[in-house]
Amino acid sequence: MLLEVRDLHVEFRTRDGVAKAVNGVSYGVDSGETLAVLGESGSGKSVTAQAIMGILDMPPGRITGGEVLFQGRDLLKLKEEQRRKVRGAEMAMIFQDALSSLNPVLTVGDQLGEMFVVHRGMSRRDARAKAVELMDRVRIPAAEERVRQYPHQFSGGMRQRIMIAMALALEPALIIADEPTTALDVTVQAQVMDLLAELRHEYAMGLILITHDLGVVADVADRIAVMYAGRIVETAPVHDLYKAPAHPYTRGLLDSIPRLDQKGQELYAIKGLPPNLMDIPQGCAFHPRCPMARDVCRTDVPPLSEVSEVRGSACHFWRECLNG
Amino acid sequence: MAEAILEVSGLVKHYPLTRGILFRKETGSVRAVDGVDFTLHRGETLGIVGESGCGKSTVARMLVNLERPTAGAIRYKGEDITRLSGRALKAVRRNIQMVFQDPYTSLNPRMTVGDIIGEPYEIHPEAAPRGDRRKRVQELLDVVGLNPEHINRYPHQFSGGQRQRIGIARGLALRPEIIVADEPVSALDVSVQAQVINLMDRLQNEFGLSYVFIAHDLSIVRHISDRVGVMYLGRIVEIGSDAEIYDHPTHPYTQALLSAVPVPDPEARAHRERIILAGDVPSPTSVPSGCRFRTRCWKARERCAQEVPALAVPSNLGGPGGGPAAHDSACHFAEVKRVVLPEPMP
Repeated sequence: MLLEVRDLHVEFRTRDGVAKAVNGVSYGVDSGETLAVLGESGSGKSVTAQAIMGILDMPPGRITGGEVLFQGRDLLKLKEEQRRKVRGAEMAMIFQDALSSLNPVLTVGDQLGEMFVVHRGMSRRDARAKAVELMDRVRIPAAEERVRQYPHQFSGGMRQRIMIAMALALEPALIIADEPTTALDVTVQAQVMDLLAELRHEYAMGLILITHDLGVVADVADRIAVMYAGRIVETAPVHDLYKAPAHPYTRGLLDSIPRLDQKGQELYAIKGLPPNLMDIPQGCAFHPRCPMARDVCRTDVPPLSEVSEVRGSACHFWRECLNG
Repeated sequence: MAEAILEVSGLVKHYPLTRGILFRKETGSVRAVDGVDFTLHRGETLGIVGESGCGKSTVARMLVNLERPTAGAIRYKGEDITRLSGRALKAVRRNIQMVFQDPYTSLNPRMTVGDIIGEPYEIHPEAAPRGDRRKRVQELLDVVGLNPEHINRYPHQFSGGQRQRIGIARGLALRPEIIVADEPVSALDVSVQAQVINLMDRLQNEFGLSYVFIAHDLSIVRHISDRVGVMYLGRIVEIGSDAEIYDHPTHPYTQALLSAVPVPDPEARAHRERIILAGDVPSPTSVPSGCRFRTRCWKARERCAQEVPALAVPSNLGGPGGGPAAHDSACHFAEVKRVVLPEPMP
């Protein structure tokens, strides 16, 4: 296993109380595999990723438990100095908003080249040549000229390509992409996802794709982990999950997608609102919104039960859910 | 078909680009909307889809008179509202209301929910006598599914989905006939989107509303719309009933757009044809000659650079009355290409 997260807990101490953002998340990703982490805002999907990368704001954030094993060693035990060497070189991250992730006063060439200067000790001239090469790899036309331009001179899709180029620069073993195409238009989104999938294949990297879009997951992922209120509620190979979800939350998400044969009818909607992280409901966090909830759901937190060798569900009644 | 309630013809909005401070010179213009025609019928939902920068939001702003068109007409029940001012304009505005995209910035954080929803009555006092207003606001809160007792709360005490309900209640306050909704659910979580769509559907039946529903999410637009218009770079390139557009698209841009939408079905991955367009949308400051889509179109020929294709039923597809493929499409070489697979039955 390339990366294994074990029982990770993260909380944020704020003036109003403690927000429990991640409450015992475990997942793993292999080389050459794409794991999609699906969840709504506040589900803890991005916070988990930030903890893995070591870019969590601490304080107010605090990792209160768990391990992040990357190629066998626990990253949480490393000193910041050592961590910095891992970040960028061995694992890299692609953010949603490319415009605010790039430095507006440096040319893209300088920003791409910086990776090689800092981590590989290259000269500026060699780094510039590398930058052009990378821009070619992510198919930015006229890379030779555009390497001297600033981020604002690129379109949204091109900026996201630059972000991808930057993440790939040092050929890391793992890439975490946090909503990489959410800010892009659909036709551009298709271009960028295609590029990402192709490069992942070529470099045999592990990819963690964080998203809220069930369509994107179906298009590119091998496995999926669904998060709700800081926990993984279901994890499965993509085909299995779409065919028959084993958790009522996943089922609700799939059912609320407008389908052709439902035109003119009411859409299925999960009732209620996502929970407040300062005050997560007792028992199963999903029970106030769950159509299947019973007494035990209000008192006992459901463990991630084994549905099959390759899938798990954190629902007391996963058998019922699986059978529809 | 029901009577036409809103007729838009030749709608244009250009923003001038100027240079110099003392001596302003016009150096060009952003052609945000460049000749848009459509008709909205009573009680129907017209969906408008397109990518960012295609001008769909500018159209919305012109419909509610937040923006004056450079040219063209918007006829509400036969009267051109772009030429109105003063009292006449105010009267029309009462009947065309807007719901905005971002429920976080479109509600004043210093006003209570009651004041926000009741504010339209300050501007149009004839809509509700002063003593009645509080009751009206509470009724509106109830209609959109919020607790009427929360009338004195502030926007920050509500979630995103609840705030969008507040925005909808404000839009309904004056009992308008038309609601222009600009991306009303795109800022919301997936599980909450369906709730708001259902609410809008219910309100349409209850109050006989006509919607102009602007969005970039094609599956939601299909669910709610009776007719759909596809915009590209300031123009409508194809318009028709939802089945005509989704099942029988004839414009290459519509086909590419539909094929690019990720389908939430991993089984479809293998046997789906994706049309990946080359390059980006050109800048609206330098619109290509002839057909504006030609720079990204795989079918483009010489004729496309010279002749602007008209938005009409293509003659090769049978002309008017020639089946589902015969709907307005602005392409010289229009032909049907099915890109959306029939969905598996659940």
